[in-house]
Amino acid sequence: MVQPVGIVLVSHSGQLAAGLRDLLLQIAGAGDGAPVEAAGGTADGRLGTSDARIRAAIKAVDRGAGVVVLTDLGSAVLTAKAVLAEEAREDVVLVDAPLVEGAVAAAVLAAAGADLDAVTAAAREARDVPKF
Amino acid sequence: MSPSSDPTAGLEFRPTAPAAGEVVCEMAVELPADLHARPAGQVVRVAAGVEAAVEIRHGDKSAPGRSVLALMALGAVAGDVVVVKASGPGAASAVAEVAAVLAAAA
Repeated sequence: MVQPVGIVLVSHSGQLAAGLRDLLLQIAGAGDGAPVEAAGGTADGRLGTSDARIRAAIKAVDRGAGVVVLTDLGSAVLTAKAVLAEEAREDVVLVDAPLVEGAVAAAVLAAAGADLDAVTAAAREARDVPKF
Repeated sequence: MSPSSDPTAGLEFRPTAPAAGEVVCEMAVELPADLHARPAGQVVRVAAGVEAAVEIRHGDKSAPGRSVLALMALGAVAGDVVVVKASGPGAASAVAEVAAVLAAAA
């Protein structure tokens, strides 16, 4: 049985990341079929980013098929990059894409059983595809 | 237009003018459900696995078969007719496969 790619959502806002996770579960059919973890806000629940949250989220969604990390902007990128540099794993990929659209694309593909390359490509595409 | 029980019914084979010898196939499908995330994801999986270039048209908009966001942005809903087009090697079976996915969308 092929394992699903995991998705980590990094945001300055805990609410934003958690809400986006809910959206992915609903519209993209993510969940058991494609694990998604939110890593938003600081450890004490304020706006900001937390390397510990990101690390924990990666661990939580890792089923051995790779992990895609998406971020909002600014220090979320820096913190995520720092965590990934520390992890030094080829199968944990930070994708440069808009958070919501990239996450939706990634989740749909992951839920459909796509591999890490395909999920990453789908997320990346979100930079270019017009919404309407 | 009512959905056919034979997914290859209505398949047209049209050689295109520009690229000599390139096979292009199209098939219209009436969607039984909205072209939302799940069927879009299934279309992408099929399109990614075939050699032919796949495109879905809805009204005046079209989306590459490999782009889940573009497919979702078509805004095609249950009852709408979309046209599945494939060009290149294996175009006919590509169209049939994608059309089957769309016809089974739920």
